[in-house]
Amino acid sequence: MANLLWLQGGACSGNTMSFLNAEEPSACDLVTDFGVNVLWHPSLGMELGDNLKKLLRALTSGEIALDIFVFEGTVVNAPDGTGEWNRFAGRPMKDWVADLAKVASFTVAIGDCATWGGIPATAPNPSESQGLQFLKRAHGGFLGKDYKSKAGLPVINIPGCPAHPDWITQIVVAVATGRGGDLTLDEFQRPKTFFTSFTQTGCTRNMHFAYKVSATEFGQRKGCLFYDLGCRGPMTHSPCNRILWNRQSSKTRAGMPCLGCTEPEFPFFELAPGTVFKTQTVMGVPKDMPSGVDKTGYVKLTAAAKAASPRWAEEDIFVV
Amino acid sequence: MPAAVQTLDISPVGRVEGDLDVRVDVQDGVVVNAWTQAELFRGFEVILRNKDPQAGLIVTPRACGICGASHLTCAAWALDTAWGTTVPRNAILARNLGQVVESIQSLPRHHYGLFMIDYTNKNYAKSKFYEEAVRRWAPFTGTNYEIGVTISGRPVEIYALLGGQWPHSSYMVPGGVMCAPTLTDVTRSWGILEHFRRNWIEPIWLGCSLERYEEIKSLDDFKAWLDERPEHANSDLGMFWRMSEDIGLDKYGQGHGRFVSWGYLPHEDKYNKPTIEGRNASLFMKSGVYDSRTDAHQLMDQSFTREDTMRAWYDEPSGKHPFDRTTTPTRKNTVDMEGKYSWSTAVRHEQAGRLEAGPLARQLIAGGPHGESWQHYDPLVLDMYKKLGGASVMLRHFARMHECVKLYRRAEYYLKEFRLNDPWYIKPTERDGRGWGATEAIRGALCHWIEIEGGKIKNYQIIAPTTWNVGPRSDDGGRGPMEEALIGAPIADPSDPVEIGHVCRSYDSCLVCTVHAHDAKTGKELARFRTA
Repeated sequence: MANLLWLQGGACSGNTMSFLNAEEPSACDLVTDFGVNVLWHPSLGMELGDNLKKLLRALTSGEIALDIFVFEGTVVNAPDGTGEWNRFAGRPMKDWVADLAKVASFTVAIGDCATWGGIPATAPNPSESQGLQFLKRAHGGFLGKDYKSKAGLPVINIPGCPAHPDWITQIVVAVATGRGGDLTLDEFQRPKTFFTSFTQTGCTRNMHFAYKVSATEFGQRKGCLFYDLGCRGPMTHSPCNRILWNRQSSKTRAGMPCLGCTEPEFPFFELAPGTVFKTQTVMGVPKDMPSGVDKTGYVKLTAAAKAASPRWAEEDIFVV
Repeated sequence: MPAAVQTLDISPVGRVEGDLDVRVDVQDGVVVNAWTQAELFRGFEVILRNKDPQAGLIVTPRACGICGASHLTCAAWALDTAWGTTVPRNAILARNLGQVVESIQSLPRHHYGLFMIDYTNKNYAKSKFYEEAVRRWAPFTGTNYEIGVTISGRPVEIYALLGGQWPHSSYMVPGGVMCAPTLTDVTRSWGILEHFRRNWIEPIWLGCSLERYEEIKSLDDFKAWLDERPEHANSDLGMFWRMSEDIGLDKYGQGHGRFVSWGYLPHEDKYNKPTIEGRNASLFMKSGVYDSRTDAHQLMDQSFTREDTMRAWYDEPSGKHPFDRTTTPTRKNTVDMEGKYSWSTAVRHEQAGRLEAGPLARQLIAGGPHGESWQHYDPLVLDMYKKLGGASVMLRHFARMHECVKLYRRAEYYLKEFRLNDPWYIKPTERDGRGWGATEAIRGALCHWIEIEGGKIKNYQIIAPTTWNVGPRSDDGGRGPMEEALIGAPIADPSDPVEIGHVCRSYDSCLVCTVHAHDAKTGKELARFRTA
């Protein structure tokens, strides 16, 4: 039995909605098959008002063990560091987070907002939002870079806007079944098992990438979205094309450029005019290269790809 | 001598999607006054200012992870009207399909996950339905809770086939959609719909076929259906209705009796050259304002929208149209029930006043005589409303769930109408201008206003359904729709006021998108950008 508490700060509930799409295990399986005891969740919990406050106080006092503390959404510090713009159960949410993180065995940040600030922390960050242990790339965040939960781990970051339900449930199952110690985290505290490969890994448009056949505008079945439409698949770490979304597809498969939402900089270029759904280039060469490729290498690679491109690559291969 | 007034502060209410606090005054066990407070601020509109014109396509679905397709629909149509695009037939169908499957998803998810749990509250242990309610609807372990919550993920698999994922895709763009589905995407979608129908709608929710349910046109028809077979009476719909009556949920939660809908689902051949003015004439589900006091229906138009701010945490001239507002947030958000007490503004219709948004509003308007023959008409909920003496917790929730079958039929229609070899996108020319996009999220009227100047966003504003419903007092002191609906609610146990939860949850409130413009450092400068 593992007690789990899930709270939301500056959140849209998108990670909760994503979580509820889970199968194998489903949200209910976690409870019935894996002994996860959901103490409270803002969309699912029974208690309201004073009864919830009692529960929260029992957790912060240690009367009830908090095995897994899941936080979704940013930590809101506005105005002026008080956190009054996000009040919950009678006090600033950030004060609850500080108290609960101290008693939690594992602290899990779900989604970009809780990991690095996400959309709310986009300039000018009106809500003075932070992630639990990062703000964008900067280590520290609300809990500070030295924070460790009682199990000795830093915040486990499960990024994505939203996080995929399997990324969430697999980590919860690992922790609930006593395998939390086996988790290996990368420099951004993401579980390596999910965030070492690229979004492009498994993309159905990979052949078009290889032969530099570009989708120059939307609504096309063929072509790679990287060259013109701003896709970040080749430099974003996620398993989006290995573990499909809603069991069916992925954004890049469907024709939508990857926005790089598992990386701390999302949304990229702070959404400045001219950057949305358009590849940023200098003299025709993308500003952001596929991971590890340098400019000279890129020019050689694409020249060779173009020259070697077979005729079929210019035709639709995903036909009606 | 009247009994003393007891004040209850409920913080948080929970299971309403976001942070809602409620204060009620209770006298003789009945709510006599109420205040609803939105307690979270993120400032999306501030973030959107000076950004790429298309930034709303990325940012606004993330205003609300629950109604992301609805926000995306508004964001795309707002840009379409601002840029003067041409939107191909297939793209209108694909947008509508995405909107509809998100709404279908929300039906079992809200019903089991957020609403029916309250029927298992110990408050109702004396009800003859209680034991069965616990067996079916107890959180996580109830038989139908588990089926309903799990199967709610299926409809949005269709969204993933169009947009790659749900929630938070941005596949709707000015000029059309990003995708170009193939035949297998359509056939798979068909399979998903069938699975949803065969495994939940018919056997569990209705206890009958879609066709039998579609014969119900009046309260009498509904009652006859209920009595017709045990499968109907014992379906989750039948049980919901009978237990709601048994525990008195048909007796409170009335509200103002005035309703609004933007209408939605533009016809695939009637909105290919979208304009703000041309929208009403294109809609399958018609827009409207219904006033039950006079039984009058009229069309809704964005120009009627006004926002009062005297009782919300803003310091600025009140009563402005969203295009004209200068949002000046109150920096110190102290709760003062005699003054300012919420981040939500008080939205009203210039002439008709405060209005309730949501499925009940949509269904009452669907029963109105206005509109053309090709537009949707359904008299059932209006008939129930009149015969049952107005709104209640039960009828408000029934109206929501009643949409299930018709939304399912819409999804079937859109799948049939795709012409797979025709265009999905026509590249538009970017330009400056003003735009407006609207839809009906499952929980009610949603719209976005955009002003683009110098190739970037000058002003972006959102009014969400919950802003209509959860808003505080208006300038004249009148209560907001939910505040009004709380009046008369009986409170059996002040330490566990589940009745407050019933009323709030019957609105399916979503506080997460009731966020407002707010810049921590330079509030004034950011004044014109807000989401409310």
